[in-house]
Amino acid sequence: MNGLGFVWREAVAGLRRNVTMSVAMMLTTAISLGMLGAGLLAVRTIDRTQDLYYSQLAVQVALDEPTSAGDPDCTSPTCAGLRQELQADPLVAGVTYESRDAAFQRFLRIYAGQSILQLVRPQSLPATLRVTLKDPTRGDALVGEYSDRPGVRNVVDQRRLVEDLFTFLGSVRNGAFGLASVQALAALLLISNTIQVSAFTRRTEVGIMRLVGATRWYTQVPFLIEAVITGVVGAVLATGGLVLGKLFFIDRLLSGRLISNAIPAVGMSDVLLFVAPLLIVIGAVIAAATGYVTLRLYVRS
Amino acid sequence: MLRLENVSKIYPTSARPALDDVSMDVEPGEFVFLIGPSGSGKSTLLRLLLREETPTRGSVYVANWNVARLPNRKVPKLRQRMGCVFQDFRLLPNRSVADNVAFALEVTGKSEHTIRTVVPEMLELVNLTGKADRMPAELSGGEAQRVAIARALANRPLVLLADEPTGNLDPETSDDIMLLLDRINRAGTTIVMATHDRQIVDAMRRRVVELHLGRLARDDARGVYGARR
Repeated sequence: MNGLGFVWREAVAGLRRNVTMSVAMMLTTAISLGMLGAGLLAVRTIDRTQDLYYSQLAVQVALDEPTSAGDPDCTSPTCAGLRQELQADPLVAGVTYESRDAAFQRFLRIYAGQSILQLVRPQSLPATLRVTLKDPTRGDALVGEYSDRPGVRNVVDQRRLVEDLFTFLGSVRNGAFGLASVQALAALLLISNTIQVSAFTRRTEVGIMRLVGATRWYTQVPFLIEAVITGVVGAVLATGGLVLGKLFFIDRLLSGRLISNAIPAVGMSDVLLFVAPLLIVIGAVIAAATGYVTLRLYVRS
Repeated sequence: MLRLENVSKIYPTSARPALDDVSMDVEPGEFVFLIGPSGSGKSTLLRLLLREETPTRGSVYVANWNVARLPNRKVPKLRQRMGCVFQDFRLLPNRSVADNVAFALEVTGKSEHTIRTVVPEMLELVNLTGKADRMPAELSGGEAQRVAIARALANRPLVLLADEPTGNLDPETSDDIMLLLDRINRAGTTIVMATHDRQIVDAMRRRVVELHLGRLARDDARGVYGARR
């Protein structure tokens, strides 16, 4: 295209003419896109965590003390009957039996080296029937159905236990998106305002362009490119911020002993290959759309 | 070349029409003075021809374009074939003389090659060859208006519209500009010039169209500014 050089030079000149405004615009855009990026990372982490857990989560049918103590191989009518009934249940994918001793061995493995071990005896742990579900969200039905059976101490849907974690991650996500949308509004207004100022300072030039018959390509595209440059620079800055945030905040937070097994780490590839391209596209598209609407509403074509 | 058919223009903020049922024809190659006191509708008429405004009633034709009905995206094509000059020159202060002329070619998508050949031609036409690198602030009024004329002609317009082109110039400089416009007209470009300058109109003896309060008051083939006044 013939006028590409012209349009590009005009756009850059426009940004430089009003440096403070351009920088403010880029920073605001960066913050809003950064928040959005944090939200996207949270969503991704939540999805991964859910995948990780839901494949392992089960409904635990804990057996009562007499059964746990007296029937280590699940051969009594109470235990075996319960097991058969569960296996026949249409909601159930599979049932495995874990005796009191096996449970204790697992407990020793998980909490190796921690002081809680001194408090726990095998007698503290019940034998359990671990039930995996065809549909992991239907745990409630099992809890209702089997809680009052003979030989059952209680029925625990493990999904319920991790829900708190997901609620926390969800609120991180919602908070990030909420801040992102407020910031995005500020960024939109700034971009719109900057384009109006830019168009005003160049009204003589644009007026002459219109008189000599310049098409929209020449009269308007420079302003759009100004906006898009802002959006893209904002997205790059936001990505930089997320990289720093990952290295110095999230990595440290998630490397804590307890939480490191609970939440999968946020990888650099998540930031650079998943979030960054999205932010750049979103930044460019939103800036261009804002610019287009502004030119339509406020600037004579 | 230009035709107005029963054109009226009423601005929403004004009680009186700016133009009231005006009809006129301009043949290719004509030189037409548009005269009348301030507020008589001269500028409105020029703005209608450029499609800066659309008429409230009536039709405006430029060459084969029905100007009032022209879709927005085709307006640039119309304007590329119409040159304009103004009382205040409207040069870009941060560009040299040559760049001001080149600007009109650049923003209408002409090639580097075209720009390199046309700009010197135009500067030669208006006798400014030696001042190609001057900035507008370094020019006299007459020189600035010649740059504006060079810019207006760069895209080889069918019509040159001039809105009081001598309004800011002393009489001698005005005469130079008129000689230039006359030469351009004789080379084939139709010219419509709005003016207040009685001396110029009387000296040129060209067609005079007089507007008064938005109405066509007079249309003389070889007129003078006016017997009265």
